[in-house]
Amino acid sequence: MNLSTATSHLRSEDINVWFGERHVLADVNLDFPSNQVTALIGPSGCGKSTFLRTLNRMHELIPSAGLAGSVLLDGQDIYGDGVNPVDVRIKIGMVFQKPNPFPTMSIKENILSGLKLSGRKFVNGDDIVETSLRRASIWNEVKDRLGEPAISLSGGQQQRLCIARSLAMEPEVLLMDEPCSALDPGSTRRIEETIEELSEAMTIVIVTHNMQQAQRVSHQTAFFLAEDGNPGTVVEFGSTDDVFNRPVDARTNDYVNGHFG
Amino acid sequence: MAQVTQALPRPKQAPWQRRNLKNIVLITLASVLPSLLAIAITVAFSIDGAIGLVAVFLPIQILATVAVGQYLYKKRGRQDAVLMIFTIFFSTLVVVLLTSVLVSVFQRGAAMMRLSFISQNATYISSTTSLDYGGLGHAMLGSLAIVGFTTLVTVPLGVGVAIYLTESRSGSRGIVRSLIQSMSGLPSVVSGMFIYSALIVTGVSHQIGLTGSLALIPLMLPTVARVCEEALRLVPGDLRSAALGLGAPSYRMFLQVVLPAARTGIITAVLLGVARVIGETAPLLLTVNAAANTNLNIFDGPIETLPTFLFRNLSYGTDNSIQRAWGAALVVLFLVLIIFTLARTVGGDKKVAKPKKRK
Ligand SMILES: Nc1ncnc2c1ncn2[C@@H]1O[C@H](COP(=O)(O)OP(=O)(O)OP(=O)(O)O)[C@@H](O)[C@H]1O
Ligand SMILES: [Mg+2]
Repeated sequence: MNLSTATSHLRSEDINVWFGERHVLADVNLDFPSNQVTALIGPSGCGKSTFLRTLNRMHELIPSAGLAGSVLLDGQDIYGDGVNPVDVRIKIGMVFQKPNPFPTMSIKENILSGLKLSGRKFVNGDDIVETSLRRASIWNEVKDRLGEPAISLSGGQQQRLCIARSLAMEPEVLLMDEPCSALDPGSTRRIEETIEELSEAMTIVIVTHNMQQAQRVSHQTAFFLAEDGNPGTVVEFGSTDDVFNRPVDARTNDYVNGHFG
Repeated sequence: MAQVTQALPRPKQAPWQRRNLKNIVLITLASVLPSLLAIAITVAFSIDGAIGLVAVFLPIQILATVAVGQYLYKKRGRQDAVLMIFTIFFSTLVVVLLTSVLVSVFQRGAAMMRLSFISQNATYISSTTSLDYGGLGHAMLGSLAIVGFTTLVTVPLGVGVAIYLTESRSGSRGIVRSLIQSMSGLPSVVSGMFIYSALIVTGVSHQIGLTGSLALIPLMLPTVARVCEEALRLVPGDLRSAALGLGAPSYRMFLQVVLPAARTGIITAVLLGVARVIGETAPLLLTVNAAANTNLNIFDGPIETLPTFLFRNLSYGTDNSIQRAWGAALVVLFLVLIIFTLARTVGGDKKVAKPKKRK
């Protein structure tokens, strides 16, 4: 495997976002090479989640949403004419900030829900369930209660279930919005290991407020900032090592070292 | 060695439940004395009971409670006291009024309850025939047929409207919602008049069960649509996002995630809709012909329903027919009670099936 020559798997070009008339993101140009983990960091409200949602066309589900720019998946604009958002979302999976398992379904059904919802045929359901749960490092905790409702799990377990649910779809790109914000240190560590393993099979974009986590899991980091009511922009983007240890911009330096504002 | 913490029995009283003797005595006095005093005054001055309740008892009770509240808890107690007395007084009043209606229906209707009243129809029964003969079996079946058909038509319509109102982003949702809302204020007799003038006067149809069913649709539709809309709206947006994020087309998202999550709410909507029309009288008087025999065919011939059976017996005015009317009232009440209980139990259901036994 040669990570250095990887083709750019996902790429945003001049992404601008509006909610109603409010411009919340300006000119975001980022490159997500395949098999790399990219961390998006920045203060609350600067538009990280919003940007993440533009990457798999979840953004357009908000009624007031506006957008300009393009997102290229292997060179193809996912906002291009005739592209079905449903196909985009199958290839580019998402784990949300808040765990959102389906309450009417059992643990097992939750894992298979993506396949059923997207109308895919599958035969070895039990294998898919086990592999996905293992990859999300929750298999041991739930293997004896696969038939129980998913909402009987703890918050952290629900989040890992949601990760497993996304993994069952075998996406090419996985977008994760603060996947560890509700987890204890042990689960967090396991998720981080999972991310590392997953990056061998897919491209990962992760939003995190945890600076150590960004440094531990990511290859490259983008620092977002929205100043005084202006739209958010990418202030700095580069290898994680550079962004954290040799930031070019003074604001990045302040943020990653924890003295901001 | 680590010491194991022992389980203790739960104490009788939690700290916030502690009362001392002085409080108990004062609160008991404030609850008992005002009513005794009020009774004494009303009797002494021979004041009318209803006036005594509002003009004598209520002020005395408020004064007494406020005084005790002030003494025990200062300003906070005073305000709590006023609120407490008002809520207790008026909710008791409402409960008493409603129960008295129920009790009188039960008292008068119970005398009519016998097997023949439920199982027989009213052929060869006049308004003076002995109560041991004839019944409202045919009316129950007729109601079942007519309301059943109404439900069959209305539920898809109502659920459809609710889906449109919650799932679409169309700009005309506001108009549709207002229309549905104003429909729920439609006097039922107007609905009957409409069918009467549109189908019966014009000779399109006779007065048959179907015309009755049609007249009930506008009455049932708003209830079903609105309760159903609430149920769909309660499904968290997170779940929709989750499904769409997994690559579900909207229709699968709706059918496999939203609908199951709203299932109990939708069933409640249907039951409440049925309860809404089961006792409707006016539209059926206009659109359905009375029958004494059993008829289950809503497409042909006269057919009887519970509310029209009740109304006609009441209008005959003989002792026996009025007794039958009370009996019918009790039966309708019972049916509605059953429907509401069903709605409650279904609505209170856990959303997920019980966990299966582990292997
Ligand atoms: N549905 C929406 N409608 C209107 N404005 C929104 C909506 N969602 C987000 N915004 C606005 O867009 C901006 C960016 O929000 P976003 O959720 O992307 O921030 P974030 O960087 O993810 O913050 P956090 O770290 O707190 O999650 C904020 O100013 C927010 O108020
Ligand atoms: Mg966010």
